[in-house]
Amino acid sequence: MSTPIVSLAEIIQNSEIAPDIYRMELQAPEITQKANPGQFLHIRCSDTVSPLLRRPISIAQINEKTGNMGIIYRVVGEGTQLLCQKSPGSRVDIIGPLGRGFPLPDKDKTSVIIGGGIGVAPILYLAEKIAQQHKNDNSITVLLGFVTKQEAFGIEFLESLGVKTIVATDDGTLGYKGFPTDLLDKYLKMHQDISRHVIYACGPKHMLSRVKTIAGGKNIPAYLSLEERMACGIGACLGCSVKSTQEGYKKVCKDGPVFEAGEIDLD
Amino acid sequence: MNIDMDISVDIAGIVMKNPIMVASGTFGFGREYSDFYDINKLGALVTKGLTLLPKHGNPPPRTYETPAGMLNSVGLENPGVEKFIEKEWPHLSKLTTPIIANIDGDTVEDYQKIAKWLSTLENLAALEVNISCPNVEKGGLAFGQDPESAFQVIKAVREATNLPIIAKLSPNVTHIQTIAKATESAGADAISLINTLLGMAIDIHNHQPIFRRTFAGLSGPAVKPVALRMVWEVYEAVSVPIIAMGGITTWQDAAEFILAGASAVAVGTANFINPRAPIEIIEGLKTYLCLKEQNLQQLIGSAHGGRHLTY
Ligand SMILES: Cc1cc2nc3c(=O)[nH]c(=O)nc-3n(C[C@H](O)[C@H](O)[C@H](O)COP(=O)(O)OP(=O)(O)OC[C@H]3O[C@@H](n4cnc5c(N)ncnc54)[C@H](O)[C@@H]3O)c2cc1C
Ligand SMILES: Cc1cc2nc3c(=O)[nH]c(=O)nc-3n(C[C@H](O)[C@H](O)[C@H](O)COP(=O)(O)O)c2cc1C
Ligand code: FES
Repeated sequence: MSTPIVSLAEIIQNSEIAPDIYRMELQAPEITQKANPGQFLHIRCSDTVSPLLRRPISIAQINEKTGNMGIIYRVVGEGTQLLCQKSPGSRVDIIGPLGRGFPLPDKDKTSVIIGGGIGVAPILYLAEKIAQQHKNDNSITVLLGFVTKQEAFGIEFLESLGVKTIVATDDGTLGYKGFPTDLLDKYLKMHQDISRHVIYACGPKHMLSRVKTIAGGKNIPAYLSLEERMACGIGACLGCSVKSTQEGYKKVCKDGPVFEAGEIDLD
Repeated sequence: MNIDMDISVDIAGIVMKNPIMVASGTFGFGREYSDFYDINKLGALVTKGLTLLPKHGNPPPRTYETPAGMLNSVGLENPGVEKFIEKEWPHLSKLTTPIIANIDGDTVEDYQKIAKWLSTLENLAALEVNISCPNVEKGGLAFGQDPESAFQVIKAVREATNLPIIAKLSPNVTHIQTIAKATESAGADAISLINTLLGMAIDIHNHQPIFRRTFAGLSGPAVKPVALRMVWEVYEAVSVPIIAMGGITTWQDAAEFILAGASAVAVGTANFINPRAPIEIIEGLKTYLCLKEQNLQQLIGSAHGGRHLTY
């Protein structure tokens, strides 16, 4: 794992891409160079002690040419509210890249990537990275789930990469009506040879649980990106634990946020 | 400006190049923060709390943010003394900054066994005896809330080791001076305070406490005034040196605690917000002393200045 860096990154852009969902572009070349898909930034949203703690946000996009990095976040509380008010040109205190990201698939593998809601953010960088390595169009399929059409994002980006993208919405306003895990079920039924498949997922906990069950049932390796409340974000406080299937707990910030499905207990 | 000025302190034989330490449980075993600066610049490093046997800690959630503070219910997750010596001590012992082991037991005998075991380590600077952890079932806080038990634990550790002993006190008591005096008379060479304040939070949607153990420990800037008051009180009650902690985030905070009577201070929760906080505090304190043309010793407790109007 690469050494994290504290950076006062310049905000290049910060704009609403869907209701209450923002994309912020940051200039932090020393972090960009080291970042892997699935890793996150620990962001200080305020200069004061309110809110006190940093907020973990996934790295969603990397532009290797400009050295810029994109994050996509949903405004849900005080921290993200402050973040969305920051203007381009100002700076934000970030630590990154943090955590263990998604292990990239071997060349002969076929990847199925599932993203739900704001969990689609890290999926974008993952899909791009895999697409760069695998020229074969059929080697990646991305399955996205959103509550409704209005909240959807990232689809154009994925399509521009030439990645096969299938969308589901809870209310059926865009694509399939239902959950992205329904799409996963269908996908696996349609594909006979699943022995070389690998599954990646990021989204709400119930979605990850379902992915774990589906993948486990078919013996497909699956990598899941988890969330837990964090303080330090670097493995020092033991505050972000998730139950391990072995003894004890794992740290989401350091052992994860991406875990092999068999490592963690999601119930 | 002369920022090479001497701010070293000697606390019960622990020789520190500056009075800024890092607080137990907020700095792991020193590995993580080494990514951000040379941790040998710290006055001293206090390890995560160690128990005789490994502890898995409490189920999640373990942290919860509060106004200018945070609650934690980590539950002393640690590898146990044996694994600590095998896995962590080799790298810790290579550091030049003094290493202080924070220890915790379910029983008086536990404390004694851990103290004996750790006393075999060459270069370990001191033991900080935690009689104040609010997040465990047995021992911990219970020892720190009663002067007689506090006395027993410190006395037992005193008999088990020649290392300097720091008694770490809980703020969750009515008379902090009584507890402080008990640990001093049992043989503590220094006193550190405060550990976290008992607090809680409730989920208003499911009508249940956030934490499985209901109560958790409050730390961060929110607790600073309480910590400062307690350091003040303890300074007036004992003659052993005091190591202060509780919400210290800036060099100004550190200066306040020193004026209240602390010979050294520890940075805890602030590490999470600004990984370089201890280093910035060291620099700030040097500049402050330089401008005041005073040395550290002159500053310690100088806010008491004869005006002893407490309550
Ligand atoms: C590894 C990781 C990656 C993440 N990536 C993204 C991302 O790319 N985009 C995005 O929008 N969100 C992401 N999140 C969730 C994001 O961290 C929270 O939405 C955010 O912290 C909320 O802060 P707030 O102050 O706006 O909300 P508040 O509700 O005021 O937050 C209060 C406290 O709860 C914590 N908290 C609240 N929700 C969560 C959550 N879901 N997970 C962990 N802690 C939480 C906060 O950090 C804070 O300590 C990620 C979380 C983790 C752990
Ligand atoms: C996450 C966390 C874990 C802690 N673990 C320990 C511990 O193992 N032993 C101990 O004596 N104190 C522990 N503490 C208490 C701190 O060392 C310190 O006394 C307290 O947090 C007050 O200082 P602060 O406000 O600067 O954090 C812990 C505190 C936090 C926040
Ligand atoms: S947030 Fe501190 S260990 Fe993970």
